[in-house]
Amino acid sequence: MADEDYEMDGGYEDEPMEPELDEGVEVEEDNENPDDVPDPIEGDGEEKQEQEPVERPRKTSKYMTKYERARILGTRALQISMNAPVMVELEGETDPLEIAMKELRERKIPFTIRRYLPDGSYEDWGVDELIVEDSWKRQVGGN
Amino acid sequence: MSDQSSQSQSLTNNWDSLQVEVAQYINSDVRVPLQYSENTKPLSGFVQRLKGKHGRFRGNLSGKRVEFTGRTVISPDPNLKINEVAVPILMAQILSYPERVSHHNIERLRQCVRNGPTKYPGAKFIKHPDGTEISLTSKVRHRHADDLKYGYIVCRHLQDGDIILFNRQPSLHRMSIMSHRARIMPWRTLRFNESVCNPYNADFDGDEMNMHVPQTEEARTEALMLMGVQNNLCTPKNGEILVASTQDFLTSSYLITRKDTFYDRASFSLICSYMGDAMDPIDLPTPALVKPVELWTGKQLFSILLRPHAKMRVYVNLTVAEKNYGKSGETMCPKDGFVYIRNSELISGQLGKATLGNGSKDGLYSVLLRDYSAHAAATCMNRLAKLSARWIGNHGFSIGINDVQPGIVLNKEKKVTIDKGYGQCIDYIGSYKSGSLDLLPGCNNAETLEANITGTLNNIRERTANVCMNNLHWRNSPLIMSQCGSKGSPINIAQMVACVGQQSVGGRRAPNGFVDRTLPHFEREAKDPDAKGFVQNSFYTGLSATEFFFHTMGGREGLVDTAVKTADTGYMARRLMKALEDLSVHYDGTVRNASVCIVQFVYGGDAMDPGQMEEKSGLPLNFERLFMKAKATCPAVEQKSLSIEEIDKTMDEIIGDRLSESTGTPEGESSQAFSASSNKEGGMETFDNSLRKFIQKKYPNSDLMLKLNGKEHPDEDKGYLEKIASNICGVTRQQLMVFLETCISRYSLKKIEGGTAIGAIGAHSIGEPGTQMTLKTFHFAGVASMNVTLGVPRIKEIINAAKKINTPIITTALQSDNNEIIAKIVKGRIEKTLLEQVAKSIKTSQASRSASIVITLDMTKIQGAHLSVDAYTVKESILKTKRMKLKEQQVKVLDHRKLEIVMHADKKKLQFELHGLKNKISKVVVKGIDTVERAIILNEAKEKDPSANKKMKLLVEGTGLLSVMGIEGVEGRKTTSNHIIEVQHTLGIEAARKKIIDEIQYTMSSHGMTIDIRHMMLLADLMTFKGEVLGITRYGVQKMKDSVLMLASFERTSDHLFNASAHGKVDKIEGVSECIIMGIPVQIGTGMLKVRQSVKPIELTYGPDPIIS
Repeated sequence: MADEDYEMDGGYEDEPMEPELDEGVEVEEDNENPDDVPDPIEGDGEEKQEQEPVERPRKTSKYMTKYERARILGTRALQISMNAPVMVELEGETDPLEIAMKELRERKIPFTIRRYLPDGSYEDWGVDELIVEDSWKRQVGGN
Repeated sequence: MSDQSSQSQSLTNNWDSLQVEVAQYINSDVRVPLQYSENTKPLSGFVQRLKGKHGRFRGNLSGKRVEFTGRTVISPDPNLKINEVAVPILMAQILSYPERVSHHNIERLRQCVRNGPTKYPGAKFIKHPDGTEISLTSKVRHRHADDLKYGYIVCRHLQDGDIILFNRQPSLHRMSIMSHRARIMPWRTLRFNESVCNPYNADFDGDEMNMHVPQTEEARTEALMLMGVQNNLCTPKNGEILVASTQDFLTSSYLITRKDTFYDRASFSLICSYMGDAMDPIDLPTPALVKPVELWTGKQLFSILLRPHAKMRVYVNLTVAEKNYGKSGETMCPKDGFVYIRNSELISGQLGKATLGNGSKDGLYSVLLRDYSAHAAATCMNRLAKLSARWIGNHGFSIGINDVQPGIVLNKEKKVTIDKGYGQCIDYIGSYKSGSLDLLPGCNNAETLEANITGTLNNIRERTANVCMNNLHWRNSPLIMSQCGSKGSPINIAQMVACVGQQSVGGRRAPNGFVDRTLPHFEREAKDPDAKGFVQNSFYTGLSATEFFFHTMGGREGLVDTAVKTADTGYMARRLMKALEDLSVHYDGTVRNASVCIVQFVYGGDAMDPGQMEEKSGLPLNFERLFMKAKATCPAVEQKSLSIEEIDKTMDEIIGDRLSESTGTPEGESSQAFSASSNKEGGMETFDNSLRKFIQKKYPNSDLMLKLNGKEHPDEDKGYLEKIASNICGVTRQQLMVFLETCISRYSLKKIEGGTAIGAIGAHSIGEPGTQMTLKTFHFAGVASMNVTLGVPRIKEIINAAKKINTPIITTALQSDNNEIIAKIVKGRIEKTLLEQVAKSIKTSQASRSASIVITLDMTKIQGAHLSVDAYTVKESILKTKRMKLKEQQVKVLDHRKLEIVMHADKKKLQFELHGLKNKISKVVVKGIDTVERAIILNEAKEKDPSANKKMKLLVEGTGLLSVMGIEGVEGRKTTSNHIIEVQHTLGIEAARKKIIDEIQYTMSSHGMTIDIRHMMLLADLMTFKGEVLGITRYGVQKMKDSVLMLASFERTSDHLFNASAHGKVDKIEGVSECIIMGIPVQIGTGMLKVRQSVKPIELTYGPDPIIS
């Protein structure tokens, strides 16, 4: 309903510029992230150690957002489904997601969240440092 | 030579032809000289492939076709939980989930592999880690089952508990697609609990719905955590509950909680067992009646439903006024309309829609959700669904012809009312014809008549409806349904039983389709009720032929309306979405677009999540209710209530400690920047101030205490009385602490979270109600005859930032607003007055060489209208008018009420010019503002109370805010227009922003819709953050966004692409549209952060392991 009134001039007049190829670089970097999930050992513990002494105080919320929770649980559930060692005692749970939730409840998930601020800087928060709102407690089984 | 020229001729021809071919190759719509466009076979150029709804951009890149989906007819099943959906077994055998074999599931998957693709809990494929894929159709699958190893992937059938996404079109808001758990069932429909109909807007008259199966563990988790039904019980539009009981569930709850329902032990236990699946223990309460037989009330059933056994620690406290609440007496309401639940016990009230239904904030489920958890609310809904479906199945609830038969009383009453009304109408018509009708302000004769008659006729319908409702038997099914709010309104019942009432087309009575009459059955110029579409019959008695025809006219308007508005609102929603899609809350609390340009410093001024607001007006907490809960759950027993000083002290302590600590930032200082910026917009104050104010209201200095202290009492009496008083209105330390603690901790959880796609939510929240608005465009702004555009057209005007709007109105405040005469004077100054309106005569006189026009002013008329006009001012205004081309000498003032205009011209032309001038002169504006159509005085004070101070203001129809503000007697600081662009030009961009918010809110609220103000603020901020008001149109969006791909996927695809290629534009792929087109995760929500494995550095020990340890 809105794609009318075309005029064909304009597009042809000027010379086409060289196509630039490098625009995607930044994004690809971000995109690599899920890739390092399957291999837990490759984690960059050492690199993190270097950045850990952040000079300025961290100023984002100490509450874990629901997006962070979902992301962490998803990533962890994927790891568990691929036979990663489980960090908690199991009581008959088999669903990877349920196990991941139990791990989070006991704060045993070995992840760090890197929160990016709009200026490109970031803050690292360990999962065990963040306060998890506990209304999600029994979301899996239903009853 | 001729050969060569013909050759070059054909060359140019071919060249042109080639040009045409190439042009059409690119764009087949291009205009082509006639001779080349002979072959008219439809072409499709590159441009056509890209553009439009089904083009590459919108059809293939922004939306893609997917596997692992299903679609079929839906049907209800109250036995399912609200987060479940029954998937037909046939579907479950086709849809599959790739489960990786691990030691948790290997035996189960082995069995699936053995079953193969045709036997139900089976599997379709096995994938090996090296990528080979084995189909399991053949008999060898038993060997594959035995060979199953860890790390293999088995594409197994869908099973109970698998997570699926469930969706119904049109997907207008985020609750249109939610994640459920699958429940594999026989037969062929998708089934779900009726409580979830609302968010999908589904019914079971043949609707179909879609389901999708997420294929990875991550997708499942995100679906469950973010899209799960339990996490979307509330709409982020305004925080009202959306998933709630409907229809039959409400009816049966209403019937169960009637005051006269009693059950003996057997039936009470039976009904209790309906609630669960024989899994939950239930503690039977003490019977309400012990002798002569043990009897339990229906209300006790609900106490069990809320809290089945003593170990369950759910204490609901709420009060709700139901529909039939008598407005006084609270729990003692004679109609039992006041619902009071204290510590999960239903004390009084018949439950209905206000308590159990959707769209309320103090209902039972809202309270459960806020005070306890989504899970608590969901299980309660499950229990009620089961209980009521089974109970009403035994009880029976039906509707028959005798439900709509009017009684003798009603028939008599109806006849009297109709006769009386008709008589009144005939009187009106009579006085209309004789011209003796008292005119309503701002209306002419015919309009007044219409307004009067319409009022009378509507009155008839209402009166009969009232009689009808009062005379129906209390067991009448439609009456019950309307009382509990499950279906139907009093009007619907009255139309069936008593009288259908006036049919309207376009907001008026039926129009004249024939010459001067509606139908040839009536006389010309007939204005009586029957001739203009009043239906005095009911649907039960049957309509007469003419009545039926009028009824179809009204009915058709409704149908046309819905057909037209879907397209309109759909396009509006799409534009809103495209403009707002990439706005999100960042970790520093700012709202920014994809190119990190700040739109709001703090979301909504207070960083609150609109979906979690508990108070009706959009404040975070409903203190009143929380206070009541605190008092109910912590009974005072032996504790003494606090004095005012003690309360103050405790409050200061707790608020001081907790509030600073819970603002969420651990490392001090910087928190100031985040938390201190909550501003005062929309009447919101800082949280701790409002909390303090509330507590101050609750000081125990009520009348009761004062009375006690005032009178003399014997000592022991005084002790008792004080105790009673403190029980009623005192606060103990524990209560106060619990209250403050809950308030503060809950407040801090209601902050909007970093990563929220608040733009998309806002677009949904404004777009979705748009579809529900009836296209009823007009509304009387206080005064009859002063129309304002409303509904979808008005919303469109606002978000388009239209330069010309339908009904611009300047609301003008007066410097002295209590004097009618002053108001009239100001009105005279504003309103446009033409010379012809104040002139007694405009005469021409002609001599041989010169001619003149003599204007005589009508001074009585001028004074009557309080205009300050005389011949001198008229002269000035004539000279000021540009098109006149008159010189000052030509206009002569004879005396203060007469002036003459002399003309000199050729004899031939003189005659014509004189007449031309006369016509022009009569249209000269002698007083008032040219762009103003008219002004109406509005008295805001209550009309019935003459002693009250008058509060006058002017409603000025038209534009010209600046000139209106400059008029003497107008309070310019309080004067405003509803024309946003004009407000921007006159008052500036901030005023325009405020105006956008106010106008959207006004339009929405006049359709009875509440939308959280934060959404409107975001929209207004987006429209104004560039410094000028940008409409949400292709032109405005173009100025807001920089991404070529986003613009190309919006509108004018090819223009943007050609332009971008010509100028070598770079697209950074940071917005939502671009990421979707490129297939990259979006930097919003879960995509905003990175997760890194934190592994402690392994301590390597050098040297050989110890042999003996």
